[in-house]
Parts: sequence; C-alpha cells; structure tokens
Amino acid sequence: MGKIVSPDFQKAAAETLAVAASAIEGVDAEVAERSSGTSPRHVVVINALPDSWRTLAENLYSEHAVDYCSMVTGIHWPEGDEERKWEVVYHLMRTGVRDPPIEDGIVRPIIVNPSKLRGASIPLEIEIHVHIPDTTTPSVDSVQDIWIGADWNEKETWDLVGIDFDGHQGMRRVLQPHETPKGYHPLQKQHHLRYHGFQEMYDDVQGFMRKPADVGKIK
Amino acid sequence: MASSDWLDVVGWSESFSSWSMDNVHNILPSSDIDMQMTIPSTWAWQESITLGPIFNMQSGFASIQPALESFMHATIMCTVVFTTMMLTMLAIPYIERKFIGRLMDRLGATTTLRSLWVGESGVTAGEWWKQLPFGMGAPIGWAVKALNSTWGNSHELETIARVNNRSYHGYWFLLPGFFQAFADFMKFATKEHIVPKNADKVVFEVAPVIIIATTVMVFAFIPFGPHIYAANPELSLLFMMAIFGIAPLGVFFAGWASNNKYTLIGGMRSAAQLTAYEIPLLITVLGVAVLSGSFNIIEIVDFQMGQDQGNVWNIFLMPLGALLFLVTMIAEVERIPFDMPEAEAELVEGWWTEYGGIRWGLMFAAEYMRSYAACILFALFFLGGWEAPFQHTLSGLPVVGGVFTTVFSLIPGMIWVLLKAWLLFAVFVWIRASLHRVRTDQILEFGWRYLLPLSMLNLVIAVFLRLQFWTGEPWELWIPAAVTMVSAGLFVILAIDEDKEALEIQRRPYSTQAVVKASPGSHRE
Amino acid sequence: MAEMWISMGPQHPMTHGLWTLKVKVDGETVVDTEPDLGYIHRGVEKICEARDFTQITTYCDRLCYASANTWSHAYIYAAEDLLEVEVPERAEYIRLVAVELQRIASHLMWLGAYGPDIGNLSVMVWCLREREMMMDLLQELGGSRLHYNFPRIGGVKRDLPHGFAQRARAKLKLFLNRIQEYEALFDESTVFLLRSQGVGYAKPEEMINHGVSGPNLRAGGVNYDIRWAHPYSVYSELDWVPPVERSSIKGADCYDRYRVRVEEMRVSASLVLQALDKMPGGADTYHEPGDPMILAKAPTRAPEGTTGAHHFEDSRGESMFYIVGGGEGRGKQPYRVSIRSPMFITIPYAAKCMIGYKVADIPAIMGSFDPCIGETDR
Repeated sequence: MGKIVSPDFQKAAAETLAVAASAIEGVDAEVAERSSGTSPRHVVVINALPDSWRTLAENLYSEHAVDYCSMVTGIHWPEGDEERKWEVVYHLMRTGVRDPPIEDGIVRPIIVNPSKLRGASIPLEIEIHVHIPDTTTPSVDSVQDIWIGADWNEKETWDLVGIDFDGHQGMRRVLQPHETPKGYHPLQKQHHLRYHGFQEMYDDVQGFMRKPADVGKIK
Repeated sequence: MASSDWLDVVGWSESFSSWSMDNVHNILPSSDIDMQMTIPSTWAWQESITLGPIFNMQSGFASIQPALESFMHATIMCTVVFTTMMLTMLAIPYIERKFIGRLMDRLGATTTLRSLWVGESGVTAGEWWKQLPFGMGAPIGWAVKALNSTWGNSHELETIARVNNRSYHGYWFLLPGFFQAFADFMKFATKEHIVPKNADKVVFEVAPVIIIATTVMVFAFIPFGPHIYAANPELSLLFMMAIFGIAPLGVFFAGWASNNKYTLIGGMRSAAQLTAYEIPLLITVLGVAVLSGSFNIIEIVDFQMGQDQGNVWNIFLMPLGALLFLVTMIAEVERIPFDMPEAEAELVEGWWTEYGGIRWGLMFAAEYMRSYAACILFALFFLGGWEAPFQHTLSGLPVVGGVFTTVFSLIPGMIWVLLKAWLLFAVFVWIRASLHRVRTDQILEFGWRYLLPLSMLNLVIAVFLRLQFWTGEPWELWIPAAVTMVSAGLFVILAIDEDKEALEIQRRPYSTQAVVKASPGSHRE
Repeated sequence: MAEMWISMGPQHPMTHGLWTLKVKVDGETVVDTEPDLGYIHRGVEKICEARDFTQITTYCDRLCYASANTWSHAYIYAAEDLLEVEVPERAEYIRLVAVELQRIASHLMWLGAYGPDIGNLSVMVWCLREREMMMDLLQELGGSRLHYNFPRIGGVKRDLPHGFAQRARAKLKLFLNRIQEYEALFDESTVFLLRSQGVGYAKPEEMINHGVSGPNLRAGGVNYDIRWAHPYSVYSELDWVPPVERSSIKGADCYDRYRVRVEEMRVSASLVLQALDKMPGGADTYHEPGDPMILAKAPTRAPEGTTGAHHFEDSRGESMFYIVGGGEGRGKQPYRVSIRSPMFITIPYAAKCMIGYKVADIPAIMGSFDPCIGETDR
C-alpha cells in the first residue's frame, strides 16, 4: 500500500550488478535473498581477493554509482582455512540518489515515488568479503579516498582488530585510548573475555579467584 | 512642588543625627581646658617649654559637628538603603524561580495564569487559596469553580494528571520557597576559595570587588521613595550611569585573570557587548533627561508626577525610549537573550567559570542587583516612580476622590516603586523563558546598527517634544495620546507576519515536504 | 588574538555525552576541529562473542540509551536474518509501534537538549514532559522506562497491554497538539532563526559520501530512508512518506535538520496510529506471552558459515548489525558481532561542518546533528 521499492526490480538490478562485478578478475559475485518483514531483500554478496579489492571498489564507485560506505568489519579466524585467516567485510549501499534536480536554488527532494525506480537508481545493498591469508600483518588497500565514510570505519577496524589499511592517511586509535600499547587489538581471538558467563562474574566480584597468569594482563 | 509622603526617612535620619550630635555637644564640658604644659628646666635646657593650646571641648566639637552630622546621616541612610535594597531584592529570585517554573510547566503566560485555577483531570495547583488566613480564600474558590466550568479542562486523561500536577507546599504565612535565597547564600559563603594556579592573583581578586562594589554603589543614587535615598546630588543620573558602566571593566578583568581560554573568550565577548550597548543606553537616558528637564532622578519623577510640570508618565511620551531602555538594559545585565558571555552551552559559565564560593555568589547576586536596578530605573524614568496609577485623576474624582486621596497618602511611595519594579522583572523573566540566545556577533550588529540610530532618533523626538510642545504646564492630553497611538500602530504593523509566499521562496518555516499529514491534530501549513 | 586550541570536553555542557571536541579558533572563528571519541567504549562487540543470542538484546538496548528500542530491534532483525526465522505479522506491527514511539521519545530528547544549546531553557522542560508520556507508553510495553529488552528472536516479549491502544491514541492526540507549541517557540522566534539558519551547511553529496544518513541526510533534500529503500517490518503496508526538507543549494543548515525531526515526530505518530488500526487480530486483543501470534519458535544455534546482516533506520541514521555465526557453545553464541553506529560516522563529519563558523555556532551545529555517544563508542 505504501510506496516502496519494487522487489522484482531490485532483484534485477542486483543481478545486473553481480554479473558486472564478476567480470573483474578475482571477484566472484552472486545475489542472495534475505527476508525481513513482509518483503524479501536482495543483496549482492561478493567475494574478492585482496589484490582485486581496489579495482573492484573503484569500479563499483564509478560504474555502478555505489556511493555510500556503511560499515567495514574485520574478523580474525585463527582456526579458519589457510586463505581465510583474516576477513574484512565491507557493507556498501547504493542510495540511488544522484544529481537531484535544483529549481530556483532549492534542491527538490528526489525519489518521491520509489516504486517507479528502475535500473541504476534502485537502492541496493552490497556485501563484500575479502579474505586475507595467514599473516601476522594483515592488510588491505584502503578506500578512504573513494568513500570518506570508510575513513573512521577503517580506523576502528585497525584499532580493534588489527587489520592495516594501505594508503590510509591519519591512522590512529579511535575507540581505545591513544596510549594503548602497540599491537594490542582486543577483538583478536587470542584475547579472551574474562567473564565468559554471568556466574563467574557474580561469584567473584572482587577477583580473589584470579589466577597468577592474569597478572600483567591489560584488561 | 516636590512630591512627598509620610515615609520621610531622609528627614528622620537628618533630624536624628542632628539631635544626637546636639546632645553630644551639650554633654561635653563647656569650660576651657588648659592644655598648657610646662616642662621645668633641667640641666638640658634652661627655660621652661609650653606645650599645647588652650582647648575648649565644646567649641572644638562644634567646629566638627556639621561634618559628624552629615557623616552619621550618610551612614544611616546608606545602611537603610542597602538593607531596603537587599530585603526587597529577595523578591527578585523568588519571582524568577516561580515564574520560570510556571512558564516551563505550562503553555506560556496565558496558561500560567490559567494554571491558577485549572489542572488536568480536576487536580489544581494544590487549592492554594484555602491556605489564606481567616478563610479569605473562599471567594477565590468560587471564582476558581466558575472559571473552571467555562475555561477548564476535560477530565479524560488521568495519565496526564501525573505529568502536570503541581503541589504547593508551604506555610500560609510564609511564601513557599522563601528561604531558598538564604540557603543559597549560606552555601556560597561557606565554600572554599580556589584560585587557579597560573592566574594573575591581584587582578583575579580585584575583579569581583570592582563588579560588586560598583553595582552596590549604583543603589546609592536610586531613590526608593521621595525621601529614601542615600545620596542625591544634582546630577545623580550622570553619576549613576557612570558607575553602572564601570562593571564591564571588572568583567573583563575576571575573564582575563583566570588563565582559562573559555573565560578569556567570555570576558572579551562581554566587554564588547556591554560597550556596544552602553551607548544606546546612555543616549536613551539622555532623552529621558531632556524630556524631564533635569539630571536629577527625583526631579525626573517629580516631573512625571507634578501637577504643574508634566503629569504624564514618560512611557506615553517616549514609548520608543522605553523599549530601547528595556532592550539595552537586558543586554547590560547579561540576561537571555543577551547572555552569550555566560552561555553554558559553549563556555560552561563564561567569564566567571573559575570563581567559586562567595566571590561567585556575590557576582551572581550582583547580576540580579543590576537587573533590579534596571527595573527600578525603568519604573522611575518611565512609569512615574512613586506615583500610583491614575493618582491625580482618582484623587480628583467628585465623590470618592477624598477616599482615594486618603488611601494614597497612607501608602508610602516606595511601595509603588517596588511593585512596578517587580512587575517589570516579571517581564524580564518572561522574556528569558521564551527567547533563545543571540550570537555575539549578531548582538553586536544589532546594538551598533539598529539600536544606536534608534536611540538617536529617540533623542531627537525628545528634544522636539520638549522644545515645541512643552510650555511649563502639564502636557496637553493629545500629545501623549498621539505618540502612544502612533507607536502602538507601528508596533502592530511591524509584528504582523510577512507574506507567506515570500517566506516560502526563501525557504523559511514550514517548507518540509511531508505529504501525508499526521492525524489527528491540525498541521501548520 | 592568535590561533589557539580549545578543548571542549570531555566534561562540557555542550557535548551531549562524553567526548572531546578540540577546536582551533582564530578569535571567534573556528579554523580546525578534531573530535576525540572512545571515552565510554565498553567493548560490546567483544562481550557479545560470549553471550547467547537472546542475552545480547539487553546489551543492544544500552548502546544508545536515548533510543533503546531502535537498537535492540536492529539487532533482532539481524539475528533473525542469521537464524532464518519467520516473524508473525502481529509481532511486526507491535514492533513497529514500539520503534516509532521510541523514535518520538528520542527526538523529543533531542529537542529538549537542543533548546538549551541555543539558549531557550523552557523547551527542555516541555519536551521532557511529553517524553514522559511516551515513556509511560513504552513502560507499559516493555516494563521499564529506559531499557526495555522488548523484542525476542521471532517476535516480541509481550502483547499490547489491555487498554494500551486507547491510551496511546489519547496521548498521541495530545502530543500532536503540543508539537504546535514547540513550533511556536522555535519557528516563530526570530532569534532562533538567526541562530540556526545559514549555520552549518552540509551538502547532500558530501553527506552521502561520508556515510551520513537518516534525518541529517533528509534535511538536505535527499529522500533516502531505509524503511522504504530496503523495506523491513510492515512499513510497506502503511501509508506514509519520510519527511524531507527542501534545502537550498548550499546544503542543509541547522534549521533544516530541526524541521526534519519535528516532522518526523508527526510522521512517527501517524505510523503508530495506523499500526494500531491495522493490527492483525485487533489492537485490543491480548495474547499470552509465547503465543504463536506474537512469538515464533526460533532456533538458538547458528552453525558456522552463516551470517546475518540488517540495515535499520535508527533515530539518528542508518544502523546495522552484522553477525557471524558459529561461535562458542556449538553455535549458541556468535563468532563476531559488528555494530554500525550512525553517529560514529556523523560526528567527524559534523566536526568538519563547523569550520568557518563562530565558536557560538558550535553547540548549534553539533546539537542539530543529534549526537548520542553511547552508540558511538559502543
């Protein structure tokens, strides 16, 4: 009843994008259907090699009007496959807004009726997985200059997970204090949570049962 | 003929001082005292030496008696005026707290008034009239019932009662919340005195002294009634304005000496703002002086009151001047909308961030004292001072005039001054609760580019009125009536909203494109 | 006066939360800014790796404490995507009611804080007064005033209480009248227009590239709302349009951002009223907790290799959860939970917006972007 983006056209747009993206070497794209609520969503899921990530990013930005970087996630897989010890997941979106019409110096809101959107103006969700093989210094090309939204996301990923971004200007700690020791990235799996269950936390509030091995731990 | 009432504190003080000094004079011995002392010759010197004159205590005292009398009179009057000022100033924070509370609680001034008799779901503000002594509140209760039946609320929503209910605790003989001011002052007085580490100690300590001293000194020249003043030189207006304008210097000292970037910015903003608004203020006050023909405040009030001088309150002759005075005074005392120098949102507390304890307490009190002085000055300059409204007209009525004359002669003039000042302070509070803070550069632009030319215009009007239309007799009635009508008409014309279409093109209010209006409830278009 | 760095924060009345904004000023003009976040970083992402899926909901409430329901629902949708759960329609309607009421409460909190930023102290009390009404409604739904833990994987915790619909309608009717009071105090005040128009321009293309979304983006004339672009829940069943402000060519200023949120409050109120009317089974019927009308049975384990992601329209923009399954307890706990906070991305952008304006504009600009540090620092 309300005006929403038509799911069929969204699926068609997603498939177009997936086909175009798969044409790049090292990139493998497909369309996944996810459901939420009353209408299905179609998401383009792409697996890319670290070497082809930058090409893919530039291609998406210039050819397919993917203009919005939502999130950059870093994951540590110490027990994963050899090629997948580290993973960076990018969530990008195509908002479908470009060159809004301007009359008398006032920007007219665009997309008044989203059910009429077709083709390259349909909003899309894109999920890109970049697997990094086993290494102590994982790194991926930075896309800070393409989407400025990736700027602080990349800083946070490095800060918490430890994945470096080549070409990133001004990398620094954003969520942890500035004086955090080098090499301490808490979301890596070798750092264990102290209280795994509620019981341990409540049974030993003052930490009398802490083991000697805990001495010197940062947190 | 100067106005006068029975509360002649100056006269009492004078007569008391001269009476007491006379008594002292009479008690003193009137015989000459030979204070000569001869040192007999010793081996050091040969002749005897005489020391001291002949001294008569009484005549010696008589020579300094006038000085002593005036000193005693001045001390008494200063004490009386200061005490009066402090006691009557207790009403000011009370008005501020309660009125702002009401305004925040409800829709605004109209509903603030309405909240006296209405509450949601039939729950009123505690049925406060029942707490008046001797059952005086019963007629109020009937009025409340009547008002509630015509303009009350429906009782649908019990849930809202929880939000809007206010109770009214307190004893009937003491206004609730009365002792808050004392408690606050006690707290400030007992706090530790902290000086920032790298602050300029001398200037840091001197700045509050300047601010508070000049503020209190202003009250020396303000007459609370026809015979209650600490000093009344011929040019009291000029003296007072001069002293009033020294405080910005203290503010700047305070901001600079605290060794804090915030206070420095606050101090400089304050200095700029106060300077910018001193000038329209002084020109407006000059207009008042021109219109009233004197620089002496008591004579200005007499001019508005006198049967043979003016007999019309200045506000009806100079509404523009009154408005200018109001606006520039709000800027001078740094209240919202002009309180950018102490804006909490940016500068924490502004130029007084680093002050604590009694220094801050007194500066905070000084800000309220300056507002109070501004209110009293407005009442004196524009609202006829200690004249009751329509005093002469009411006293001149055929039958009941005698009653009014008696009543007016029983009420000391100070009461009228205070009532008018408190009412004006309520207007200050109303403005504070409704308006936002203007940015510093906008304040300065407003002061220099709009208020200064307007104050010059006001001066021209005052000169014109005084020279052309004043003949030494009371103003002819058509002059203030014409001035008031023209001003009111201009105000209405300027206050009407502009053309909606023109506003749209400039993307002014209500340009949002929510096509579907939320329902129910009317959506402004 | 030379240029100097002023540090606003971490304890500062302006900042709406715990963060530092270092500002380089030249006299009164802002020349450079540098935000400093992370003061209340609580490590939620790491904690969630050791919690069951149902235990994580309570953490998500506390991400942005002013807008708790939107965050717990954002997580729940992502968890349902991970576990592949079908939610009954009535539960979706109840969730919509909760989320939209929370959006109104969050915007009221924003307006109540924005007024004092600009200098108007009365509106804070008025907005908090109305927010009490919304919080009463949310308390009836969720049980507490600030953090509700209301949604469950597969539905909601409890049905609408008895008489809720009637109370909600009455309160929303009163609220819609009260919005006009706020507009009178703001839109008709020349001082407010002086302070907020022409201040803090933000161009829409820049905003999109920076990752700004939600009301801040819609203030720039960009009609982008997750609720219709990637529709979820039952927003597609209701008749509504997201409010968009027609800004000028220079971009969206503080006034536009303010207008959008006021209109959003109206739109949210209308959504709630429509949802109450259209609820399957009627708004006055009550189902016991656990009834299949309001809660579907959901698996508790997510095997390795599964992922769930969901974009959600939070009060402040687009929030997103990305959950990787296959963690401890043979899949009962997630392997990684990644949270996207709109404010984490918007605050650096807002700091850039301030350059070139006066120091006095800093609270006006920052307040108009509606920062909430709880979700920023996670």
